[in-house]
Amino acid sequence: MGEPILRVEDLTTRFFTGEGQINAVEGVSFDVQPGEVFGIVGESGSGKSVTALSLVDLVESPGRITNGSVWFRAPDLAARIGKEDPDTAAVDGEMVDLRRLDDNERRALRGTEFAMIFQDPMSSFNPSITVGTQIAEAVEVQQRATANPRAVRSRTQGFGLLKFLTTSMVPTVDYVSEESRDRAVELLDTVGIPDPASRATEYPHQFSGGMLQRAMIAQALASEPSVLVADEPTTALDVTIQAQILNTLSELRAEYGMTTVLITHNLGVIARMCDRVGVMYAGEFVERGSLEDLFERPSHPYTEGLLGSSPALDNGARRLQPIEGNVPSLLDEEMADRCYFADRCPKAMSECLDKPPEFDADGSEGHRARCYLARDAYDPGDALPEGYFDE
Amino acid sequence: MQYGRFLLRRVVHSLFVIWGAATVVFLLRFLTPGDPVTVLAPPDAGDEVRDALRQRLGLDEPVHVQYFEYITDLMVADFGKSMEVLDRSVLDWIFWTRFLRSVELAVSATLIAIAIAIPLGVISARRRHTVSDYGATLFSLGGISTPNFWLGLMLILLIAVPVGFIPTGTPGPLLHEAVGDLFAGDPGTLGDWLRFMFLPALTLGTYFTALITRLTRSGMLEEIGKAYVKASRAKGLPETLTMYRHVLRNTLIPIVTILGLQLGTLIGGAIITETVFEWNGLGQLLIERINARDWTMIQGIVIIIAIGFVSINTVVDLLYAYLDPRVIDE
Amino acid sequence: MISDRVKASLKREFYQSRAAQVGLALVVVIILTAVFAPMVAPHDPNTQRVGTGDAEDRSDLPPLSPIPGYEFTGVSEQTEVDPETGEFETVTVERPADRSYPLGTNGRGQDILSRLIYGARVSMLVGLLGAGLAALVGVPYGLVAGYIGGRLDDGLMRAADVMLAFPSLVLAIALIGVFQDTGFHTTELPDPFVAAAQSDTVPNILIPRADHVATMPEATTFPVTVTMVVALVNWVWFARIARGEALSIRAEEYVTAARSLGASNLTILRKHVLPNAITPIIVLATIQVAFIILLEASLSFLGFSGTDLTWGADIQQGRNGLSSGRWWISTMPGLAIIAAVVGVNLLGDWLRDALDPGIQGESGGV
Repeated sequence: MGEPILRVEDLTTRFFTGEGQINAVEGVSFDVQPGEVFGIVGESGSGKSVTALSLVDLVESPGRITNGSVWFRAPDLAARIGKEDPDTAAVDGEMVDLRRLDDNERRALRGTEFAMIFQDPMSSFNPSITVGTQIAEAVEVQQRATANPRAVRSRTQGFGLLKFLTTSMVPTVDYVSEESRDRAVELLDTVGIPDPASRATEYPHQFSGGMLQRAMIAQALASEPSVLVADEPTTALDVTIQAQILNTLSELRAEYGMTTVLITHNLGVIARMCDRVGVMYAGEFVERGSLEDLFERPSHPYTEGLLGSSPALDNGARRLQPIEGNVPSLLDEEMADRCYFADRCPKAMSECLDKPPEFDADGSEGHRARCYLARDAYDPGDALPEGYFDE
Repeated sequence: MQYGRFLLRRVVHSLFVIWGAATVVFLLRFLTPGDPVTVLAPPDAGDEVRDALRQRLGLDEPVHVQYFEYITDLMVADFGKSMEVLDRSVLDWIFWTRFLRSVELAVSATLIAIAIAIPLGVISARRRHTVSDYGATLFSLGGISTPNFWLGLMLILLIAVPVGFIPTGTPGPLLHEAVGDLFAGDPGTLGDWLRFMFLPALTLGTYFTALITRLTRSGMLEEIGKAYVKASRAKGLPETLTMYRHVLRNTLIPIVTILGLQLGTLIGGAIITETVFEWNGLGQLLIERINARDWTMIQGIVIIIAIGFVSINTVVDLLYAYLDPRVIDE
Repeated sequence: MISDRVKASLKREFYQSRAAQVGLALVVVIILTAVFAPMVAPHDPNTQRVGTGDAEDRSDLPPLSPIPGYEFTGVSEQTEVDPETGEFETVTVERPADRSYPLGTNGRGQDILSRLIYGARVSMLVGLLGAGLAALVGVPYGLVAGYIGGRLDDGLMRAADVMLAFPSLVLAIALIGVFQDTGFHTTELPDPFVAAAQSDTVPNILIPRADHVATMPEATTFPVTVTMVVALVNWVWFARIARGEALSIRAEEYVTAARSLGASNLTILRKHVLPNAITPIIVLATIQVAFIILLEASLSFLGFSGTDLTWGADIQQGRNGLSSGRWWISTMPGLAIIAAVVGVNLLGDWLRDALDPGIQGESGGV
């Protein structure tokens, strides 16, 4: 394995709500190789979406990233920052810790290196502005960043109140240039939308779900990103459309070599798209490794459970095995100091009452599992009795 | 549906509403107990005098004939003649001066309101839970709970009396007079106009300012929670642009409709403000005419106000549809 | 009709929000004051105390000052007879505040505090009754229009739209103009407490301050026309909301299910549409009560309500005093109005936040 483009260390995101502190993401670490598709799979409430948002600093109050580093490979950026401040902790060789950057630097990266697509395209677009204009905005952001990086990194990002007032008062001065609009139409074409020029003048509600998701991909591409974060991109779509979108994503990845972080709860999508995968449960990775590792030699009982509970075409006669019990609460006060999966685990042992660290598991080099079973064989004699965790 | 067709349908609808309103106004007169002639004629008048008066006022015709004449007259903008001062036509009494005065007051108040309230609402929403937010929220709560006639009196008490200038009694200049004088080199009239307009516009505008602040604040808070805001930030758009170009724009759209609906409150408030400041506008005239039981005038004023009101609402609806085309397809 | 989840939400919002608590406190205090007016008020609000003698004249007394060390003074003009020349003179006399008239008196020597307390009766009655009437007419109208839909809906709503062609106050004034000369402009509502205190049948021990209560006004003048007019002007808002709700509920699957089981339209309206539509209607009702209180005050101010024992009328009455330093006559009733409307508005905010944060309210999403 080569040098990663993204290395997340010990990322922790918490929500401080009126009902208490919610530990959405707890000490998550993983790395992503350049050009690969890294999948994060888990049930609702496992923390996978929050992880994705944390990567691009889009976590909103009352949530906050409280700990950890997000190292991103950006040689030029690292060099510049290193020159400005040689002792800074934000730089390590060619990697930059996004969390330690200035707010504005981070925001500038969002328009250029990172792009994100969301689950429901219909609500992710502003309903009262044309699709073409919105995509053109993304293009414009990228253009301005390339043309005038210093201004974009400044506090007002080259667009303060005064400029805004002028733009609103004088209709001929618009934030979005003609070139940006043309490029937006090109992008719509790239993602396979027919008659892109006229579709660009339409509003989001005039698009079908699948078309709009393509438009969102087009918008993401406008930033010419190194990393694409896709949060459940196909969940809100019909099955046939899902396949189309995944195809589009694959084609784009082949053409642009884009690194992708793909969030989903759907194992089929994972199997189709990903090179390496991480399985999330209760805010942490319980297992991560290559696609093969996960499907052929899962180490963690939860992963086994997930595989057992999804239907497979070649094994139609097998009965689906759902995982017993419910997803645990993420409220800080309710989280116990043991393996979070123990209460639902068919192979829980007495040592599981001590929270396990990540162990190396069989298979490829990066295969890890947060389970004692990766280290020791299962000993039924040591199993926790049935109903141990019932209140 | 195309915008053009929508426009046509909307205009036709408003014409219908105006016709309905005129009918209602007409019926009101007939529902009034008592005989206008009894009220208007001198107390010792004999039957002949009363009959003559009745005939003069057109009250001896059967109802449907009166109605027909009323409607046809309206269509040519003949609002009839005053019952009290016969032969003086309604339009004659109302038009220009009084109408303009009322309009100037209403427009000034609205402009003040929008200019203060929208920035206040935005600041309040963006700086939630800070001192400015609490201050703005408190102010807006008070503003919509204060009767504006009382506010006017308090302003007179606290500002006009100490300053020594009370803008009541003699009416101030009209705006076109003031501007005309300005171009002729005399800014004094404009100064007068401002002095006279200041307190009444402030009084009338307070309710609106408070209301719009409230609506802007809550509207923005709701919009900010929506998914497209996250998407907008994700594509790297500067925060200022996300807030103004997307959030504020979407917040303002429904506010525009609410403003249109609240226009009625504005007009009502104008009537009261005119009474407090003796403003010599349409509103004060209405009160005066009600007390005089001068029904033709009352009808005329009410129908003129209604026409204005319906027209503005129609314009607002058309504006809304232009800004948010989803409405047309509903 | 009110589910447990809704009750829990109401409670939670209430305990979390200082504003809701203040609102409820204000409204409860004002309503209680209005109901128990004869016991709470220190004097009969109608008694005038103007005379040519210093002893009886209690007009234009200033209020007690809350600022220690600073006293308000009232100025009153009196006509006196000069004992030597026998001529009438107009003399300005400075009057200090009098403890038994804590908020001062007006030009006719009437106690302002008592008038405020009695004025609350009219404001709250008109506010609640007016909104109630408007809802009673508007909600069924709108529900039927929305539920049946089609031509009926069009026709009904167009008729309602005509009402909306008039700004509220304009229509109210015009309607008052129509009804003001009728016999039912106002009506006298007898006061049960005063009657009980005056009669022998109810023992006086049951009534606090019974002797005092017996001297209070036997009836309160209630402006009937104003209440009707206010309802007439506002019912359309209820109709619109109810129609909107009926339209969307009608499309819900449980209604189709009910219909396929053979339920009649009336049953469906009663059991399914109404309970689910009730939330925005309740929110609208609180907004309406606040609006109506202000509307009533405006109409009283203009002299259209037929009784002068209202907050609005008192403000009008105190206008002359403003330029001669007698500011409290107009100021106090205004403060009362603000207190009442703020209370109702805060209650409305609480209801809106608790019942459905989706309605445009103060709390946006997290």
